[in-house]
Amino acid sequence: MKISGAKQVHYDSGPNMTPLVDVVMVILIFLMLAGTFGGTEWYLTSNLPYSPKGGGAAQLPPGFVPDQPLEIKVDSPVPDRFIARVEGYTADDINKLSAVLIKMRDKLAAAGSPPDKVQVIISPARNVKYKFITDVYTAANQAQFQKVGFAPAR
Amino acid sequence: MRRRHLQESHAAHPNVTPLIDIVMCLIIFFMLITKIGVNTGSDSSIEIPASILGNELKDLGNALTLNIREGPRDQPMVTALVESGQSQPQELKLLEPSTGRRPLLEVLRRLRDGDPAKNLPANPDFKIVIRADKEMGYRFLEPVLIACMEAKVKNVNFNTVKGSQ
Repeated sequence: MKISGAKQVHYDSGPNMTPLVDVVMVILIFLMLAGTFGGTEWYLTSNLPYSPKGGGAAQLPPGFVPDQPLEIKVDSPVPDRFIARVEGYTADDINKLSAVLIKMRDKLAAAGSPPDKVQVIISPARNVKYKFITDVYTAANQAQFQKVGFAPAR
Repeated sequence: MRRRHLQESHAAHPNVTPLIDIVMCLIIFFMLITKIGVNTGSDSSIEIPASILGNELKDLGNALTLNIREGPRDQPMVTALVESGQSQPQELKLLEPSTGRRPLLEVLRRLRDGDPAKNLPANPDFKIVIRADKEMGYRFLEPVLIACMEAKVKNVNFNTVKGSQ
């Protein structure tokens, strides 16, 4: 049996898509090569604390209760090492310092100062390298201290 | 019964419609997530430290990136892209000995407090991004932090690389 009319379907109707595909492919390759995703870097955010004196002098709001200070003294006796001291505890790497700060956090919380009411002050010596300061900062963040500031160089 | 065959012209070409669909989706995806031609003034030659914690900054358009490295005479060398028309970051000295001016502080104050002469409104949410050399001593960072404090810039962000120590 012969089906008539099948040959009347026009498969070639419609626009030629080849140039479109070419252009779209070029745009795609350009975007893949030229785009930067910025996924390799991030930021340690610090909201600098109130300073009742000095260059950043600011009027304290009425009823303002200062946060409980927690000072971390950082020294660098040799160029590629740091020592952090927190209220009698000593740590020379980020993991040990984090453990010390977690202990301090629990102690302060038991005394009525939760982590959001504690102002951590990093007090580095003049020669302490920036990478060690970010280590100390990270350890404070690991211990869930949210307010981290800096003291003048010793 | 005679079998029906597709026409010659159709059988020879593949159907490109699914390909175009997928490619269009990919283009839209890349257009949305990539950042092309955004110049924050970051100096990529500075080796920044790594950190295992950090957060993403949502509004980099409201931030000024300060590139800090060791400079002469125990002073930091700070560069930043202050004017939008610039292609390269310019140096912002802490103190100009000849005039006594403090260009870094002036720029920070202008961006934070606004400048009526240039019709620039005050911007309390203004942020600083610090991109400093990881081997640099704290004595080079300290004067920059003091300048931020003097300009009452409260939001300071330290740029680090994601990863292990």
